[in-house]
Amino acid sequence: MEKVLIAFAAALAIGISALATAWAQSRIGSAGAGALAEKPELSGTVIILVAIPETMVILGFVIATIILTTK
Amino acid sequence: MIVKMSKVEIAGLKELLEDTLDLLRDMGLFHIETETMGFIEKAEEEYIETFSLDQKALSKKLLLEDLRLRIDELFSYLPAVPTRKSYIEPEDVVEILRGLVSRHIKYCEGLKNKKELLQKEASELSRYKVFMEAIEPLIGTLEKTEEIDFTGLTIKDPESIPHIRRLLFRLTDGRYELFTNRASDGTLAGVIVTERAFSETLRKALSEERIPEISLPASLEGLAFSERLKWIKDRIEEISKEMSSADDELLKFTMRWRPLYERVREWIDDRLSLMRATARVFETRLCFIIYGWIPAEAVPVLEMKLKERFSGAVTLVEKEMYEEDLERVPVMLKNPPYFEPFELMVRILPLPRYTSFDPTPFIGIFFPIFFGMILGDSGYGMLLLGLSVFLIKRFRSKKTIKDIGKILLVCSIYSVFFGILYGEFFGELGHELFGMETLCVERRTAVIPMLYFALTVGASHVMIGLFLGFIGGLKRRAKKEALARLIDIFLILSIILAVSAFCGIVPERFTTPILSLVLILTPLLLLTGGLLAPLELMKSIGNIISYARIMAIGLTSVLLAFVANRLAGMTGNIIAGAVVAGLLHLLNIILGVFSPAIHSMRLHYVEFFSKFIEPGGRRFEPFKK
Repeated sequence: MEKVLIAFAAALAIGISALATAWAQSRIGSAGAGALAEKPELSGTVIILVAIPETMVILGFVIATIILTTK
Repeated sequence: MIVKMSKVEIAGLKELLEDTLDLLRDMGLFHIETETMGFIEKAEEEYIETFSLDQKALSKKLLLEDLRLRIDELFSYLPAVPTRKSYIEPEDVVEILRGLVSRHIKYCEGLKNKKELLQKEASELSRYKVFMEAIEPLIGTLEKTEEIDFTGLTIKDPESIPHIRRLLFRLTDGRYELFTNRASDGTLAGVIVTERAFSETLRKALSEERIPEISLPASLEGLAFSERLKWIKDRIEEISKEMSSADDELLKFTMRWRPLYERVREWIDDRLSLMRATARVFETRLCFIIYGWIPAEAVPVLEMKLKERFSGAVTLVEKEMYEEDLERVPVMLKNPPYFEPFELMVRILPLPRYTSFDPTPFIGIFFPIFFGMILGDSGYGMLLLGLSVFLIKRFRSKKTIKDIGKILLVCSIYSVFFGILYGEFFGELGHELFGMETLCVERRTAVIPMLYFALTVGASHVMIGLFLGFIGGLKRRAKKEALARLIDIFLILSIILAVSAFCGIVPERFTTPILSLVLILTPLLLLTGGLLAPLELMKSIGNIISYARIMAIGLTSVLLAFVANRLAGMTGNIIAGAVVAGLLHLLNIILGVFSPAIHSMRLHYVEFFSKFIEPGGRRFEPFKK
């Protein structure tokens, strides 16, 4: 049972943060696409902006790893 | 590197201004300053004013601008064909061309109008030709007489023919004939033959019913139907000959005159750009003064050139740079050949201030390392190496693609290097095929050591950034800010040590001194960095954790390569296995190029540069051709 709970906690840590990243990226992505239609020279900046929320899922991943590996 | 600039003032006799500007433009290293703040002393202000052209120069400028417009108008009539280059001295022929240009415009305009009229006539005749070809077999050699009249029609809907017949029957009491035939363009052509007495009524009725009537041009009147088609064909041929003759004339004119006009236009542009530049110059009663910025290393060169050309009549004075000038010094980036391609990645960032740092060398050093750490597969690295060599060789003339190739070349070398350390060659294929062993760490299983490694890289990178921020602060003489950066470094180190002590990596007896250090440094941080400084510190810690992506993205890459090989093995068929493995490895390579590139860039732009790069620099825009 304890193992199941640990796995579930790790899944939640990465799952929720992945959803949050996806939501943020969808908003930034659509705004970025709009900006690119007007100013194609912003492509580099928009790529970086889209990559910014990925920190959340990376942090989620780190937490999940710690949950799974801590004894 | 941000090039060191000198603040200079060039002064000389007014009549030498144009030549001086010419020299500065040829040199292409002088940024003319229009703002006099910091250049003119308070006591001098009343004697110096903006330069204005005298009456003679002004009228010359207007004449040149007018001639430039006329040449453009003339060029709008000429065909775009390659012509020879003229080497004639433009200044000698300007006056002659000024007299000729109106006549030339009129001549070319006449040819163009003639061509347009001929084109219009040809298109109309082509329409009649289609119609005539369709009805000729219907009428044959029927001659036009005084009593009989022919009316041409275009019938859009064939189903309307019975309706037209009923209409004609009603109008002519059945004394008519309607012939129809399919024309070559697909439309239905028709001819109504009836007595002349009904013609007017018939035309009116057709117009009311919206049935388009074809009226033949006046030149065809009086000709028999059989002769009309021949006449149209002959005329179309004649028009084509006339048009090609007009084209030949225009081409001949272009080949003869365009090179000369082009040479003069270039010369006019050259003169006008000098005259426009005078708006950025200042004057006293007898002299002109140009204020501006020039790379410090170019000052002696310019001084020498001015001396050689004007024998002391134009002088250069290097002025003292004040603290408030630092905000306005234009920024020019210059890097050694290795770092130059990386400027491509810096261009999407705002320009750093003069007192800040050029981010290019840092990107040039760390970006390929991070890329290699993330991709970390010698097989993929070799493929990318091949791709980069291809890009460099194939696109020699396209600088951007060549630069991308050069960046990829360095990144792929690091990927091969880290691939050897991780023991990866298309995942674990290297181990299976030729017994390749892990030299350092196996990423697939050693998740926690890799996490520590990534965080250590992050901590080092962020602290380098903070240290550069400290140096930048000293350079700008912002001592408080510099001190805050230094305290940040010590606090981060203390926190890392405290965490290590908590985890048992550092002996427990160090915990108390470390925590005491944190307690002493925190108020100092508040004093130097303000109330938001602790928040900044927490942000820096978050930034360090963000480097965990080096491990995370790398892990996904290695797992995908592992899955590709496992799936290939599970198919049990060599061909199917090769296809599955090939496709998955291809997908991994594509991801392996984009993911590490984007994440390494992000680590630089967001985590690293925010610590020491001060955006808002003014671009160095030298006066040049």
